[in-house]
Formats: sequence, structure tokens, C-alpha cells
Amino acid sequence: MDALLKGLKLDYLARGDFAKTGQAWVAFLPGASLVRASERLLKADYYIEDVCAVDCVEGYVVVYHFDHFEKPGRVTLKVIVPHAAPNVPSIAHLFDGAEWHERETRDFHGVQFIGNPNFVPLLIDPEMADCFPLRKEEKSRSSAGKIMAPGEVVFCDPAFTLFVADSPAEAAGEGAK
Amino acid sequence: MTRYIDTEQTAGDFYTHNFAKKAQEGTLILNLGPQHPSTHGVLRVVVEMDGEYVLRAEPILGYLHRMHEKMAEVKTAAQFIPNMGRVDYLHAMAWNWAFVGAVEKIAGIEVPERAEYVRVITCELNRISSHLLWWGAYLLDLGAFTPIMYAFDDREKLLDALQVPTGSRLTYSYFRIGGVAQDLNDDCLGRIRAFIPWLRSRMPMYKDLVTDNIILRKRIEDIGVIEPELCRRYGATGPVARGSGINYDVRRNEPYGIYSKFDFDIPTSELKCARGRYDVRMAEIEQSLRIIEQALEMMPEGDVLVKGAPKPSWKVPAGESYFAVEGARGKIGVYVVSDGGKNLYRTKLRAPGFCNLSLFGEVSRGTILADAVAILGSLDMVIPEIDR
Amino acid sequence: MPAEFIHILIALAVVAASVGALGLVMVWVERKVAGHIQRRPGPFEVGPNGLLQPFCDALKLVGKQLFMPNGADPILFWLAPVLSFLPVLVLFLPLPLGDGIMAQNMNLGLLLILAFSGLSVLALLLGGWASNNKYGLLGAARGVAQSVAYEIPLLLAVLAVSFQAGSLNLAEVVKGQGTWPWQWNIMTQPLAFLIYLVSALGETNRAPFDLPEAESELTAGFHTEYSGMGFGLFFLAEYANMAVVCAVATVLFLGGWHGPILPGPLWFVLKVSLLLLLMVFLRWTYPRVRFDQLLNINWKWLLPLAVANLLLTAFFVKFAQYVVVK
Repeated sequence: MDALLKGLKLDYLARGDFAKTGQAWVAFLPGASLVRASERLLKADYYIEDVCAVDCVEGYVVVYHFDHFEKPGRVTLKVIVPHAAPNVPSIAHLFDGAEWHERETRDFHGVQFIGNPNFVPLLIDPEMADCFPLRKEEKSRSSAGKIMAPGEVVFCDPAFTLFVADSPAEAAGEGAK
Repeated sequence: MTRYIDTEQTAGDFYTHNFAKKAQEGTLILNLGPQHPSTHGVLRVVVEMDGEYVLRAEPILGYLHRMHEKMAEVKTAAQFIPNMGRVDYLHAMAWNWAFVGAVEKIAGIEVPERAEYVRVITCELNRISSHLLWWGAYLLDLGAFTPIMYAFDDREKLLDALQVPTGSRLTYSYFRIGGVAQDLNDDCLGRIRAFIPWLRSRMPMYKDLVTDNIILRKRIEDIGVIEPELCRRYGATGPVARGSGINYDVRRNEPYGIYSKFDFDIPTSELKCARGRYDVRMAEIEQSLRIIEQALEMMPEGDVLVKGAPKPSWKVPAGESYFAVEGARGKIGVYVVSDGGKNLYRTKLRAPGFCNLSLFGEVSRGTILADAVAILGSLDMVIPEIDR
Repeated sequence: MPAEFIHILIALAVVAASVGALGLVMVWVERKVAGHIQRRPGPFEVGPNGLLQPFCDALKLVGKQLFMPNGADPILFWLAPVLSFLPVLVLFLPLPLGDGIMAQNMNLGLLLILAFSGLSVLALLLGGWASNNKYGLLGAARGVAQSVAYEIPLLLAVLAVSFQAGSLNLAEVVKGQGTWPWQWNIMTQPLAFLIYLVSALGETNRAPFDLPEAESELTAGFHTEYSGMGFGLFFLAEYANMAVVCAVATVLFLGGWHGPILPGPLWFVLKVSLLLLLMVFLRWTYPRVRFDQLLNINWKWLLPLAVANLLLTAFFVKFAQYVVVK
């Protein structure tokens, strides 16, 4: 996987515990390299499972799940976008199935996918489409660092502090491995 | 090219207008649904037609949207299980399993062995009932009125058996975190044992009468060809992918529960057309019977619910997990994120029908209307699952 | 000729009454047969074995509000069901039930039936067009293409028989056949019989050729917008048309009223009933064909076969004449 994503600007790449979290690889990456990462996954015959967002303190964590028909092992790409400007480039031109998933995420969280060919409400009535039911209130948000499994770190950008700041003990434990 | 503007053509709601923007001159915009005999519920498909030919088609969703994912955030994990029976009413057991499995993964709960067998048996029975219903309804789409009655006759025996332990006939909420609600008693086991030879004796008749019928073969062969590449781009799984020659089944590729203990085949078809998907589903019924037979034989005695099973107010420990099971329509995935609070922090339901249906627009392009309906049926949609 | 006129009027009244009765019987038979094919009893509650069910259905249809969609053409919309039903009455006039038992003995009986049965297409077209409904329009377009196509092999098949019999008078055709099955025209014209049967299914829009009303695609096709008796008349016309094509098949191919022991009219009714039952069986057994397949069957198979059959018949008839004259 690290070979597959080589040369892309990543924030964080970790091996997940498949038996425990169902994810073989987890990568946090900036929105700018999302399209190129999914392009490589497409070339490596991965298929798209789903796209969703999680509303956290750091912003909306947009989660992409990919899987492979022959070699099992779910690859999760995560993009953190700020609450104020939730913009992510669309990957619908690569994975056509992502069009609907992105529209659904827009309905639920109001994340904007730039470049989606048919960016209209999917599940929610267009007349009340801006209600974003899954957005959380400020006080009920949790930190993504707490609720997301860090996994076994392969690469971590020094500037990426999601799993470091809150729980130094855990980060140290991971480092020792 | 100028756009076709006519008062009749522009009548309609937002989606019709949005769709009609790209319409060519002199074509007919037709709304199939939300109430239409072949959309099996309240799916709506807007179609641009040139005579009998479909130029473009776009499914419009949301008529049965119930926001299950929001409901997951206002209920405890145990309270959310009944919702899972209502996502896909035809294969409720698999959704039960997917959600319960995801929570068990986070919490690290081990399920007693007998419960695993009970889960396999009920889930496979439910798969058979789902495929039988699909079979009947699909032939109804193709204009054969009789097979659905036979399918319901068989399904009735199945539902009677499942009713004994679950107490319901359609929207099961039978699984519990750490096991299942009740053991299968002798009445239920007897019914299941009687059902297996019964369905086996019926399958050859269905093959002779329906599958080998020349009209049916001409209707479903070489229509709706889905290449493996297309499955990948749209994330299609289940019989749709297997009908395109992709040997992928979650039960085999990412074994969960005790599926690795059973000897069964993954039927695939190289035909890639609606016929391929039809064949795969019919073969899957027989494979499910095989699994049930083995499970009944190997099932040990014991508890069906883990000791100290979580109470309804139980808090799921913090963490995230993704759990996938093979439903009748494909890969059912539940992504659960918990922050250790009373309710789950985020629950994402990955519905296989949603992904399978999303490729309809591309596959139906250039087909005849009757074929488009046949393709739609061959994708096996359950609308509550798609809209969630 | 007032006597002649009154005669026709009475005949029409009798026919109208019997078509109504036929419709009721056929509704019951169809539902009962469908039920038994589908392993259920069918209508059961109203009357013994559900015998009174068709009356309740008819009462319901009569009592329903007649509804016309917005923007529909009122004249054509209401003309269509009437136009579909009325010509069917005429079709029954030249049918011989027994030796000499017919409403109107005419030399061109066969021609009359073929001519008036063509009118039902017009009704279908008007109904679909005037409804201001896209499903109706598509159904009407299908109906016209189908009926026009299937009329030709039907005509050719019928013509082959009348060549052989040397008459267009239905009674004459029957008289040319004998008591026993091997004396019937089906023995000399088996191909024409098959072509006729398939074309008749197409002509009456019965499954597996029920494309103009293909339920799963066009909801109800050309009669989507009709309620109450508007729909009822289309429905009745369908059954009446079925009875006519079966009766014509009996007359042309199955020896009409001929048969051993039993009286002639009984034989006639028996044969027609068997054919009707066959049509009902077909409907509840087979899936629907696709529209292009339907037309392919017609243009690529039925039509050439029918032409070949006609030419062959013409040749043998002429040859026989030549031999006899010599």
C-alpha cells in the first residue's frame, strides 16, 4: 500500500487491525491529493465501497472506503475539512458510483464535493435540502483523535498531530512497536 | 441543439427539470414511478425516450428515506437493532448481523458457538426467502404472472419456520449483541429439516418451467451487460458482480462468523447479462441449502447468548469498526464510530442495493424500454434499503 | 326491406346480450383457471365457487365514477371504448353455430369479420392518443404496429382455407368439412392453423403478446386513464374478440358444428371453449415477449410462411381442378 501511494502528499498512513476495526490500511490525506490517490486505487483494481462523513471537533472527517475483489483488505482514505469551508474535490469522474455517495454526504453533512457532475440532493427533498441532519452541535462533538483507531503507524507527517496531541501515551506506545 | 421546450414537457418537479435540461430535441421525458408496477416500491426513474429506446435514465431516490443513520445517533446500540430489520425487509437477518457484528468488533465480544450456527442458519434461510421473492417478482416484471405464487408458497414454509424463534415474519430483530434472542427449538428445526428436501424437489420444476422457457431466455439474454470494470467503478457487489464473472463473496473473501467451516461454492457466471445474474441467484439458493444442511449437522449444544450480554443501556466503548456481511443483494457494510457515550457517535450503513442501482443509468442507455425494466429487475432492488 | 332490417336489429340485440353473458362467464373462467394454475382457489366467496363474482365486478365497474384526465380530448376519449366494443357485435353475425343456425347468412362473412376486426385497432389508437398520457401514447403506438403487422399473416392464413373451400361464406366452409377430425381443414392446413393461432393472440393483444397494455412497463398501456365502464368496455371487447377469433378458428379449421353423436351447436361451443381455455392457459403460463421480438416473429417467420402456404394451397387447388376437369 505504501508503494501504491508513494509520492503523494500524505498526512498519515497506518496499518489497521483488520480483525478489530475491519480496516487494513488507514490514510489521512489532504484534499489536494485525494483525486490522485483514488486514481491509483482505481488503476490497482480497487472498488469503491462507500463515502461518508463524521462530524468531529477538527472538522468533517470525510471517509472513503475502498476494497478489492481479489485481495481482501479495506483501504480507508480520510480527509479532514474545516467546518467553515467543507470543500472536497469529487472523485465521481473516476469512481462513477461515488456520485451518489457524495450527494448523500452533502444531504447529511453539507460537505461540498467540487466537480461532482450532478450535485443535487439525493435522498432529501430538494425543498428542504439544507437541513443537514447529521451535523452535530458544538458541545456534542468529539475529537477524531479519540474515536478513530490510530493503527500501526507507517508514516506520519510531523505537522499531523491528530493522534499525538491528545494522548501522548498512546502515541509513545505506537512508536515503541 | 436547441432544447425542447413545451409546457407539457416542462411540467414536473425539480428533478424532472434538472433531468430535462440535458434533453435532446423531440424526445419524450417519461416518469416511471414513484408508483409504478415494476419499480417494486417507490423508486422513481426519469427516462428520456426516443420512441421505444431509452436515451438516458436517472433514478430518483428518497421517497422512502427514513434517516436511519440519524436514528442511530439518538438510540443506544441495543435499541437500534429493530431498525436494522427495517432497512432491507427481504434480508433483515444480514443487516441484523452486520450491525451487531460491527458493535461486537469494537467491544471485543465473543459470541457462543451455538449462536454462530443459529446466525448462519437463520441468515441463509432469509437469503433463500429473499431470492425466492426476487425470482417471483422479476418474472412478474417480465409478464409471467404465475411463478410468484409458487415462490410465495415456498417462502411461506420458510417464514413459518423463522417465525418460531424470531416472533416476526419479515422485519426480524432477532440478533443481539453477543448472540441471538432465542434458541431454535425442535418445532423450528423440524420445519427447517422438512423445508430443505421440499425446496430441492421444487427447483427442477422451476428450471424446466421457467428458466428453460424460450420466451424468458430471449428476454434476459444479452441485455444489461455489466463488465467487471463497471462493477468496480460503481462498487457493485453480490449477485450483480458475480453475474459479471467476479468471484467475490464476503462469506468467502472476508469470512465472518463461522463461514470458513462450511463447504460451499460461490456461483459465478461469465454471461454478464441479466441471465447471468438470474443464474447466480438460482444457484445461490441451492448453495444456501447446502450450508444450512451442514450447519444443522454440526451445530453444538450450548448457550445462544454470551454470559453477561450487554443490557439496552450498555455503552459501546470508544473506537471505530467496519463490518461487512454478504446480503442477498451484495455486500452489506456497517461503519460504526463510538466515542464511548450513551449512543453511537456515527453509524454509516452501506447498502448494496444503493451501489447496484447507481449503475442503472449507464447500463440502460440505448436499450428498449422493456429491456430497461428487465435490467432494473435483474439488479434486485429493495427500496427501503436504497433510501435508508 | 324493413323485414331484413328488423331481422338484423334483433340479431344484434341477441348478440349484444350474449356478448355480455360471454364476458361474465369469461371473467369467471379466467380468474378461476388462473387461480388453479397458481395453486389457489380463485374467486370463492361470492356465490357457489365464486360464480357471482363477475356480477359483483360488473356492478363495481358500472358504479365507478367516470374520470377524464386534464387536457384529454373529450370526444375521442369517450368514443374510443364505444368504438372498441360496437364493431365486435357485428363480428358475431355471420358465425354459424350449427347447420343453418346463424344470425345472418352472407356470402362474404369472412370478409366482414376481417374488415370489422380491423376497427378495434382504431379504438386502441384513439384511446391511447386522446388520454393525454405518455404511457397511453406508447401503448397505442405499440398496439397499432402490432395489430397492423399481425393482421397480414392472419389474413393470409384465412385466405388459404377459403381457397381450399372455394368460398368466403363461413357456413359453406363448414359444410366442406366432415364429421370426423381427419376430415377437418386442420389436417390439410396445419401450418395455416398454427399461423392463425399465433396471429390471433397478437391480434387480440393477449399474453404473451399483450404489449399495448404491458403492465410492468406501461402500467396499463392504452387504457391507463380509463376507469369504470370505460375500462369495462375495453375489457369486454377483449373477451368478445377472443371469442370471435376462436369461433373463426373453429369454423375454418376444426370442422365448425361437425362432430359425432352430440348436436352441432354443442360441438361448436365445445370447440370454441377449448380454444378459449388454451388462450387462458397461455396467458397464465408464459412471460411477455419484447416488442422487437414480437415484430420479428411476425415479419421474419409468420409472414413468409403464410405466403408460402398460400402459394402452395393455390397451386394444389388449381392442380386439383385441372385433374378433375380432365
